[in-house]
This record gives sequence, C-alpha cells and structure tokens, in this order.
Amino acid sequence: MKRKLCTVRLITYEIKNICGNPFTVFFSTIFPILMSYIISQTYMRQVPDAVRPAAITGIFITMGMVVPMSIFLIGHGANYSQELEKDVPLRMNLFGFSQSGMIIAKAIANLIFLTGVLLIYVAASCLLLDILIPQASAVAVYALTLYGFGVIFFILSHGIATLVKKFGPTYAITMMLYFIFMIICGMMGIQTELLPKGMQTIAYTLPMTYVSKDFVDFWQEGSYNFAPFLQAMLFMGAVSGIVLIFSVRKEKRMIK
Amino acid sequence: MLTINNLEVKYGSQTALSIRQPITLQQGDRIGIIGSNGAGKTTLIKSVLGLNSYTGSILTELAPEEIAVHMQQNNYVSTMSVRSVMETILNTNIKKNKKVWDLIKFFEFEQCLSKKYTVLSGGQKQRMTIILVLCKDAPLVFFDEVTTGLDFETRQRLMEKMVDWYKEKDTTICIVSHYYEELEQLVDKLLILEAGKVVDFDKKEVLFHKYCGKTVITLENNNQNRNLVLDFPQLKASSHVIALSCKDMETEKKITDILIRENVNFKRSNCDIEIMFMNAKTQPSLHMGEGLLKGAMS
Repeated sequence: MKRKLCTVRLITYEIKNICGNPFTVFFSTIFPILMSYIISQTYMRQVPDAVRPAAITGIFITMGMVVPMSIFLIGHGANYSQELEKDVPLRMNLFGFSQSGMIIAKAIANLIFLTGVLLIYVAASCLLLDILIPQASAVAVYALTLYGFGVIFFILSHGIATLVKKFGPTYAITMMLYFIFMIICGMMGIQTELLPKGMQTIAYTLPMTYVSKDFVDFWQEGSYNFAPFLQAMLFMGAVSGIVLIFSVRKEKRMIK
Repeated sequence: MLTINNLEVKYGSQTALSIRQPITLQQGDRIGIIGSNGAGKTTLIKSVLGLNSYTGSILTELAPEEIAVHMQQNNYVSTMSVRSVMETILNTNIKKNKKVWDLIKFFEFEQCLSKKYTVLSGGQKQRMTIILVLCKDAPLVFFDEVTTGLDFETRQRLMEKMVDWYKEKDTTICIVSHYYEELEQLVDKLLILEAGKVVDFDKKEVLFHKYCGKTVITLENNNQNRNLVLDFPQLKASSHVIALSCKDMETEKKITDILIRENVNFKRSNCDIEIMFMNAKTQPSLHMGEGLLKGAMS
C-alpha cells in the first residue's frame, strides 16, 4: 500500500470541486466581466476620447487581477475551510492521500481553472471593450503576474483556512483582505496617491498597486523598472509562505 | 502487529486515556473496544492513527496508510457525485474494477453513486465509508461506532454484510460499539475501557467466565421473580433485569428447573457482553492488568 500522491484523478476531482462552488464561478468569471463592462460604459463617458482606449485598457488590466483574487483568495479559502470544518482533508489523509499531494493537486486544479477563466475574461473583454492591442512582452508579463498572484493567494488562503479551520472566520478574513487589497491597490478607482501617507506605504508593499497603476504604461510600448514590483511580489509571497508553513506544521500527524 | 505500552493522552490537565500494561494486537484479531461515554475508546483510535499527542509508545511496522479507519464522523465534498468522490479515493474506474463493483453491489449502493453526499441517508453514508474502507484491504482496520444512529434493521444488515465480508480473511479488526449484540457476532477479544483506564483485555469467553461465570440466566425484574431466585448469586444488570450467575451446570439446572416450574420466561447466555461489561467495570482494581498480559500473549 503506497501513500497516494498528486494524481491526474485527484486534480480532476479538485477541478470538479472548484466548478461545483457557485460563488467561485460567479466571482471569478461573471463579476470581473460585468464590472469592467459597467465601469467602461459609465465612468468612461467622462474621459476624453483621446485617452479613452488607454483608460479602458487600464480597467481591463486592473479587473483581470480580480480573477486570481476571486479564485484563490476567496474561492479556495471558502471551499477549503468548509472541507476543514467537516474534516474532509483528514478523511482523505486517512485514506492514504499525503497532505503535500492534496495541496499540490488543489494548486494545479486552481491554476487550470484560472487559465479557463482568463481565456473567458479576455475573450469577453475583446468583444465588449475597446482594448489596445498589447506588445507580446506585455502579455507575457501580465499573464505571469496573474499566475504569480494565483500562487501567492493560494498559499495565503490555504494557510489562513488551515489555521482558522472554520468557514465563517476564514471567509471574513479573506473577504476583508480582498476589499482592503481592492481599495488600497487602486482597483476600485481610488488612486494610491490620494490615500493617507500610512496607507500609501502599505499599498506600495503590495504588487497589485504597481499592476493597476503602471502596467498600462508599457502595454503597447516602452520600458518599465520592475524592481519595486518584484520586491512587493517577493514580500507578499514570503508572508503567505510563512502563514502556510506555520499552518501545515501545526497540522502534521504524529506518525509518519 | 501493533503494541501499545505506557500510553497516556491528556486533554489539558485531564487524563483522557492511560494504558499502563502492554496491549498487543495480533494478525487476525477481532477486537471489540467497549466502555461508557468518555472511556477513551475514540482517543485510543486517534492515538494509533497519530491524530493525538500522547506519551508512551505505539509500536507498529504498519505505515499510517496501511491502517484503515471508519471514524464516527466521515464527510466528503458535496460539489460532485458520490461516484467521483469514490473513484478519486480508490483511484479507479468503479465500473471497470470488479472488486469495487462487487462490493458496491454487495452493499446495494449502486443507486447512490449518482447522488451527492449530502443527500444520502445516514445508512447510505455509513455504507459509503464502509465500502471505501473495505476496498482499501488494509491489514488493520478500526470501526468507530459504525452503526450509531441507524435503525435496527439497517444495523443488522450492515453487520451481517461486514461479518460475511471478513469471513476467511485475516484482517485485524478493532470495532468500537455500544451495541453489544453486534460485537457478539464479529469479535473474539474484548478491550474494556472505563474512565480512561483499561479494565481488562482478553478473549471474550475468558472475560465472560471471569466476570459472569459459566452462563448467565436473565429474567424480568419483578417481586415474584426476585423472591424465586433469592438464594442464587446475582450479577449487576440493567434495572429491569435480574441476572443470575451460574458457575456450573448444576447451578444452572437448579435455576432453570425453578423458572420452568414457575412458568417464568428467561434467557440463557454464555456470551452476554453487556452484563459482563457491567460487572467488569465495577471491579477494575481487582482485575486490571491481570488479564492484560494474558490477552496480549494469547
């Protein structure tokens, strides 16, 4: 009898698990498309014609970040905490699935789901919005950034859910983080420069701020200094990693 | 296969389980773990599975995945069909795997495969985990109150099927239950726990003989019956029952002759676990440890 690791069947199971959660499907697939469309149709009317395509592209870039946040931070946090509340991971563990195998399968399944949702988001945005055609390197950087956010948010929400173990508090924490990130990183239309000094400092430690503020600048042409953005990515990744490692160590079974 | 020695589990400052003498589970053992609520039965299973912090030792060559367990609460995701969940856990296609499909048919579970876990009835939920546990074919299996909350008929059918399944197999089974008639069907040894301590551990016949005598006669507890059996040794039993200990055939004959003559209904048993348990737990200091080593060695 071997310890069950991450298998294709386990990944398929996790994809079904994600698709079976209507909140994840709605907030990751429908919500960003709806929001970008509504904002572009209402606020953009006040923007001069000359800069409107760039502004709409900015909305597309910013709303794209909602996709990994919804899937990984909210969706995975909610799904996994519900499982923990019912001891489902323990049950799977007792059936021989290793904890690391289950985490990897969940991460891969969420990344596959993210790919599908991003394709839908891009297709819908191309149909509904007047987006500037990007240079290939900008697409690559943007895609990598979204996947990077996905991994970091997965680590963070998994760690929070494992530590808290209850759906209610996990959902409250992840939702609070979701809205804090949205507000201070300029994803809700509030410019970071207009925030109080202390909040600006926090905002610049988060990579989402750089995406919503700067990514449109090199969308079609031009160069960009990625150092502050990468530093922010590393910082958020490190904090999330610490939360996950702490939670997993706390959960380890005694017999190995 | 597995030896427990000097095990102590504490929840805060309270000792939930303390096993001083060694307890050895051997291949093919069928062990019933009995005790009142809070006796430490589930704590013992959790310790063996490594889900509890404990001091002492649990020595086994088995890897955690070689120990199968049916916990009191078993839950699965409800975002997909039961079939998908089972196929993932067993890593197989149910229809193409004869062994699994036979087991599903054996437990009459075919109709449940397309449903979601939350809509299954209590009995169906229990059957699902039992199928998964049996499919695992582990050398050591724990069943923690498998039939609690199920109606009499469902319980009977489940136990019959389990007895049938394990016939001819040398799996070591440890089953926790408050339904002693189920244990009578399935187990050959008993581990009696009370208030976190081991009262005794041995073959059930040995324990019965030790605490009850050769046989036990039970009859309704009323004034007339009490007067009839006044001269015979009585055992502790439920308040509605008089339990008489028969040390030998002669005593048994004397009692039954009186009861037949007086036209009193009675039952005779040589393996009544309930009465044996009630009498064992009242005298722990007398027997604790004495039977343990014997039980471990037999």
